[in-house]
Amino acid sequence: MPKIEVSEKLFFDLCGHSYTDDELMDIFPVAKAELDGHDEGTIKIELNDTNRPDLWSAAGVARALSTYETGKIRKYDFFSSKDETKDSGNRMIIDDPSAVGIRDFSIAFAAKGKVVTEDILLALINSQEKLCFNFGRKRKTIAIGIYRSSLIQYPVHYKGADPDTTAFVPLHFEEKMTLREILKKHPKGIEYAHLVEGKPLFPYLYDDNGRTLSFPPVINSADVGAVEVGDSDLFIEMSGPILDDLILTASILACDMSDMGFEILPVKVKLPKETKYGTEITIPYYFQSAPDCTLEEVEKKMGEYLDDKECVASLGRMGVNAKCDNNVISIICPEYRNDFLHAADVTEDVMIGHGLMNFAPVLPSDFTKGNVSPAEEYARKVKTLMVGLGFQEMMYNYLGSRREYVDNMHISDEKVVFIANPMSENYEVVRPSIMPSLMESESVSGHAAYPHKIFEIGKVCYKDESDNSGTVTKNHLGFMYADNQVGYNEAASLIQTMMYFLKKEYQLAAVGEDGRFIPGRCAKIVVDGKEVGLFGEVHPQVLESWGCGVPAIMCEIDLDMMH
Amino acid sequence: MDIDVKNLHPLEVKVLRHVSLGEDITAERLISELDYKVGQCNQAFSWLSAKECLEEKSRDKYVLYELTETGLDQFKNGLPVEKIFNFLKSNGPAAMPEIAAALFLEQSDVGSSFGQLTKAKAAKLNEERKAQLISDELPQDVKIARSLMEKASTAPIRENTLSAEEKKAIGALAKKRGAATSTFKLIEKEDVIYVLTEAGDKVKSDLFKANITGEEFGLLTPQMLATGSWKNGSFRPYGLNAPTSRIIPGRTNAYGDYLQWVKDKLVSLGFEEFDGPLVENEFWNGDALFMPQFHSARDIHDVYYLKDPVHCKEIEEPWLSRVAKAHEDGGDTGSRGWGYTFDHEFTRRQVMRSQGTVLSAHQLPKASIPGKYFGIARCFRYDQVDATHGADFYQTEGIVVGNDVNLKNLLGLLKMFAEEVAGAEEVKYVPGYFPFTEPSIEVHIKHPKLGWFELGGSGIFRPEVTKALGLDCPVLAWGLGIDRMALMHLGLSDIRELFTPDIESVRMRRGN
Repeated sequence: MPKIEVSEKLFFDLCGHSYTDDELMDIFPVAKAELDGHDEGTIKIELNDTNRPDLWSAAGVARALSTYETGKIRKYDFFSSKDETKDSGNRMIIDDPSAVGIRDFSIAFAAKGKVVTEDILLALINSQEKLCFNFGRKRKTIAIGIYRSSLIQYPVHYKGADPDTTAFVPLHFEEKMTLREILKKHPKGIEYAHLVEGKPLFPYLYDDNGRTLSFPPVINSADVGAVEVGDSDLFIEMSGPILDDLILTASILACDMSDMGFEILPVKVKLPKETKYGTEITIPYYFQSAPDCTLEEVEKKMGEYLDDKECVASLGRMGVNAKCDNNVISIICPEYRNDFLHAADVTEDVMIGHGLMNFAPVLPSDFTKGNVSPAEEYARKVKTLMVGLGFQEMMYNYLGSRREYVDNMHISDEKVVFIANPMSENYEVVRPSIMPSLMESESVSGHAAYPHKIFEIGKVCYKDESDNSGTVTKNHLGFMYADNQVGYNEAASLIQTMMYFLKKEYQLAAVGEDGRFIPGRCAKIVVDGKEVGLFGEVHPQVLESWGCGVPAIMCEIDLDMMH
Repeated sequence: MDIDVKNLHPLEVKVLRHVSLGEDITAERLISELDYKVGQCNQAFSWLSAKECLEEKSRDKYVLYELTETGLDQFKNGLPVEKIFNFLKSNGPAAMPEIAAALFLEQSDVGSSFGQLTKAKAAKLNEERKAQLISDELPQDVKIARSLMEKASTAPIRENTLSAEEKKAIGALAKKRGAATSTFKLIEKEDVIYVLTEAGDKVKSDLFKANITGEEFGLLTPQMLATGSWKNGSFRPYGLNAPTSRIIPGRTNAYGDYLQWVKDKLVSLGFEEFDGPLVENEFWNGDALFMPQFHSARDIHDVYYLKDPVHCKEIEEPWLSRVAKAHEDGGDTGSRGWGYTFDHEFTRRQVMRSQGTVLSAHQLPKASIPGKYFGIARCFRYDQVDATHGADFYQTEGIVVGNDVNLKNLLGLLKMFAEEVAGAEEVKYVPGYFPFTEPSIEVHIKHPKLGWFELGGSGIFRPEVTKALGLDCPVLAWGLGIDRMALMHLGLSDIRELFTPDIESVRMRRGN
């Protein structure tokens, strides 16, 4: 979940007044926000709604709070739409078809009229990073560049460029590098190389004089792309493969900057191909739509009737313009949002606007019958027996290392399920059996008084071609008994006792090669002609691998085959 | 010191009753007069001294010499030097190896014994390099050794009874430790003389008053029952607070007990348990829950993928088509969808179950209306393992299916969980966010010990989830973070401890 840090001064300025921490904690839930910390002029906020990128900035949260408190919906007059195109003057960006298939689109708007302070610069960098990282999936679908528009000669051009002949001085460096060199030498190049590597051409943004703006999504140029405190004319550009995501990002940034006092200047984009908006679009652009919602739907979902006035007022507090005719609520999605997929989303805003504390809890009235699962019921029966036999119940993790689950057990890895992307080799294998868990206990418990009699009823997972997933999850019982003098006979007696009380007739059969047990001192347990488990004396090679110095017997039974 | 005479051990009782003020009390005396063993004397002295019934009058250290096994053998069969002397006397001069062989002695013993004889001018090495006697008499020191052995054969010899000459001789034949090959073992001893104290005398008279003899019965035996002998005496009262010995019982796991308690609680509230496999696919783990396939929580850095098989064979229809449609344009769910092209290969990719809600998704197509279901599901996340994150952990999740269930019911349910499962004093609801519910609610509770914290998340399943899976009625979904309460219940602070392999720590663990 996104976490942001905002300047206290900037944030309270944007809110229109300051808050105590307690007041923040009380009001933050309306933005699904939590106060994460507050020290030395910085407020840390955690945002829970991953579908509301507009809230990941000081301006966004401040807007939500002040709208909620005042009920006044902000108006933004710089949006074009399918019915109206705002004047873009000479500001234009031309997307060349050569970037299609590489990073299709680049769109932009400009801003002026406000001197960039340290707080504003930091806020812009922070929202740029949050949007690119969380909403733009680490720049894969959205990369944002902010430039000094005073240095730009329109129109700006976006194309796929030859990575070996195109060169410029990247930000924080002094020498010219080709695009390919940047991927090898520049820290940002190394970080984001995977997004463009292997493409025949690399995305490239430059102005009509041929001055480089940037190499999206990697790095800006050292001059046009180096915004500093004191600048006041900015060009904000975003590139990526999904046009709607770019337009929404532009809208969010434009609204934020407008709230901070900038005048937003539209930029015309010549698109590289035919889109649902045609081949030209003027940014910022209002493209959102929202579903209607009936008063009846609200009542059914909330369990309480709210009239048209209350619904409209509640939505207003959430910054949503709404009207209600004939019991149908229609809303205008705010410019900076696009999260109304279903009437249910409208209902939720009504709920938050109305205030959760205003709904009284009522228990569901339907009668239903409760039950534990059959596996749980059987497990409890077996557990009672094992405890009666003097065993301590253990509970283990299901992920472990190859060394623990395979090598130390002297078994083949043929049926073992491996993780493709383990975080470390310690958690690379899914437990195919309970036995290695029991052995781990033995290996770390030399200090515990003997005898060690332990068991677990838990899940194991191994490959099984007959299943749709090629794997199977089973409920198993495993137990171990370690002591100075313990052997096959004790194991056989335990099995005999258990099977008697579980009412199972069983036969024992010889086990083929199994590195876990001493040959000739282990047996398969066969019930109704099917092998349900095995037990025996643990092979000294296993004890040695685990560093155990006391003899042990072990047993494992598939409980799913027993009931 | 206040002493309850009933708590005295028979060994103490018998000593106190036997002795009087002014008498010397020694171990020797108890052995001969009360038939005590040495160990029993020591116990009685140490306990009674600690109770200040006896006090030490004097302590006399001395040294004893005792024949070892070897010494006893040498006493019976002769010292090596005696054997060699006698051999040479009866057989005439002989070479060393010859002597060793004939007498079954080590060459080195023969050498050292011969040295002893030559030094005492009793033997010499002749021209043929054979040992030859030059005296008829054994050397003086050998004679002394013989007499010492004789003396020690009846009782250990006290050092202060020996002459200077004898002391020198025995010193050469004795060792304090590792004395197995020496003739004598040197033992340092102490004679301690105790006397009865005034307090002890008082206890003694109390014993007589209470008629405690030290002959009371100890263990009741089957024999006593068979013969009825128990009728002829009284039972010694035991010290009630004596140290106890450890018992290692068979036991259930304390964390498991807690989970079982939660399960039983939910069953009592009308919930039916569900379960499922550890290996899931992207379809059920995310797609069916209307999480867009590009959602950040579905990243390689959040979910564990399987190395093999990478994909499952198929996804059940009609659910695959219906869910795909819900993602693309909403299908018949009343939604506009996410507006992207659903990836039919990605959806088959296999993952380790990352959220318990998967079980709810699986339940939807087969759920009864009304129905209440829950599961405690083991889940896996790509997380650095630390005190608050495990590689795998349990999530407690459930759903309530009903034609008329709504937000107010959800709040009612959460309140009931908060009170019944968490013992909450106050409950607070705040709007939350989950990709599969709308609205979404978090429930925060004020716990008597932990203060305010988030107990769980919940919401009403999005129609894109329920309708796509064939259920046209509201479904309340909830999840409870019970591990935090489990840790508190068990007095732990590190989540890794819940699954510890350490036997001792699991044995000793208990809930509140």
